[in-house]
Amino acid sequence: MDFYVGLAQLIGVHALLGLSAYVVLLTGQVSLAQAGFFAIGAYAAGMLTVMAGWPLLAALPVASLAGAAAACAVGFPALRVRGLMLVIATLAFAEVVRLFFFNFDFQVARAGVKVGPLGGEGFRQIRYFPENAWTTLEVTLFIWAFVAAIMALLWWFDRSRFGTVLRAVGDDELAAQSVGISLTGAKVTAMALGGAIAGIGGGIYAHYTTHIEQANFNILLATLAIAYPLVGGLSNVFGTLVAVVFVQGLLVEGLRFLGDWRNLLFGALIVLAMNLRPSGLFGARGA
Amino acid sequence: MNLLQSAADGVLFGATYALIGIGFTLVFGVLHKINMAYAAVSVGGAYCGLLALSLAPAAPAWAVFLLAFAAGGVLGLAVYFACFHFIPLASPLATLMSTVGMLLLIDEVIIHVTAGMPRSYPAMFDDVMLQAGALQLRGDLLLVFAVSVACMGALLALLYRTPLGLATRAVSQQPVAAQLCGVRVVQVNALTFVVTGLLGGIAGALIGASVGTLSPLLTLPLTVKGLIVTVIGGLGSIPGAILAGLLVGALESLFQHFRGVTERDIYVMLLLFAFLVFRPGGIFGPRAGRD
Repeated sequence: MDFYVGLAQLIGVHALLGLSAYVVLLTGQVSLAQAGFFAIGAYAAGMLTVMAGWPLLAALPVASLAGAAAACAVGFPALRVRGLMLVIATLAFAEVVRLFFFNFDFQVARAGVKVGPLGGEGFRQIRYFPENAWTTLEVTLFIWAFVAAIMALLWWFDRSRFGTVLRAVGDDELAAQSVGISLTGAKVTAMALGGAIAGIGGGIYAHYTTHIEQANFNILLATLAIAYPLVGGLSNVFGTLVAVVFVQGLLVEGLRFLGDWRNLLFGALIVLAMNLRPSGLFGARGA
Repeated sequence: MNLLQSAADGVLFGATYALIGIGFTLVFGVLHKINMAYAAVSVGGAYCGLLALSLAPAAPAWAVFLLAFAAGGVLGLAVYFACFHFIPLASPLATLMSTVGMLLLIDEVIIHVTAGMPRSYPAMFDDVMLQAGALQLRGDLLLVFAVSVACMGALLALLYRTPLGLATRAVSQQPVAAQLCGVRVVQVNALTFVVTGLLGGIAGALIGASVGTLSPLLTLPLTVKGLIVTVIGGLGSIPGAILAGLLVGALESLFQHFRGVTERDIYVMLLLFAFLVFRPGGIFGPRAGRD
């Protein structure tokens, strides 16, 4: 039972990561920076609850704002380039964030113990949930409340004028611009919203694993982030959730019996899936 | 003086970055796609070179290099058929994902075969020290530089002096027109991957030789460095990739001199951002009208 609850928590956190990439993908931009925003949110929330003693519910909005601010900062210069150049720029940003935390030492003494991020050793003892006696089930419900709220928000956005603008930019930039849509505005807004969601996701991730380190936020995580909406298709938010369940639940956990060979199969499956269904497993053709 | 010394070391090692950058840029020039698996092919080729040692323990270092060279070409062709050939040209995202999948696959195969342990790599001329004025140039780095320059020369000769090179350049300018003129586009594309794979294999072997050990952990930093070199040089520009490779090598060495090995890559990437903001086309941006 514990195993399935833990899996549900993991799926919830990865769903937030996938949704953050989903928003950005709606405008047709492929961002590998989501892992970077996720890392920023994780460290920000962890430092606030552990070192400043904030409650988690107060720390998460700050983590979210930090993610959004970083996304804006990346968005403006990165939007000078498009397509594959943007992929490279955002990949480089994610690596900068990872390397920054690799070099980031900032510890304070609390109750006689030094706590805080310590470079390559990572950030241990983010024990907000155990300290406040949350049960695993409560933590799971907490995570999924955020997933549900953000999915509802995005579902509503999709049906509003805002979502239409984002999709218009994603479908045809020239046509969108000619009807008076500000490309920079739409793209940076989508980036910032994606950064905010990734920040929340990272903040929750830090607290449920209790130990984060720079190696968690590598290119594999960045690839997974954009793989979820790509696999699930961009027609609505539920595709991303289905893709997370499919990848994390079936591929990663379901193939655990293969042991060492599972990692081999994982790369091969991505290659195979892209050869067979280039526009997503569940997505509409041409999405 | 130490500054000049580390810049010189950096330029010599930067030649391998230039080779990796050329691989990315050549594929981009021909297919307008990014081959994210390229650095993995390079490291994979270098590992295959080590097979020579396990078959014949007394094999000389040049045999290892030669095998790495050939294996890189084979791996390059495999990447073309696994990640590009059957995926429609119109979906750039699909090839991006498939090559990332290939990157993970090659990495995992290496980890599986070597049980995750780094392997020591044979070097040539590593006991030679050349004195040039006040500069001391390491013999193995000089070899790296010389072989890289020779490879670049061979590549430029191939591209600008042979019918195959003419066909490659034609496909990179106008694939449809090239096809109408009787160029076999698929063959040219596949050969581009073989050529870049050959370059990658030798680059991987040179990197292994100058670092002294080879580890699958090399692939990701190399991928990022290669992409940075490609962007700074200008996507699709071979002279740009060469110049940017040497520049990145020199600057990386200087950053390491000033800020230490753990921080140097941060500054290299900030350099990339500076280029994206002020000169998004790179040093030699593509000429107007070329798509």
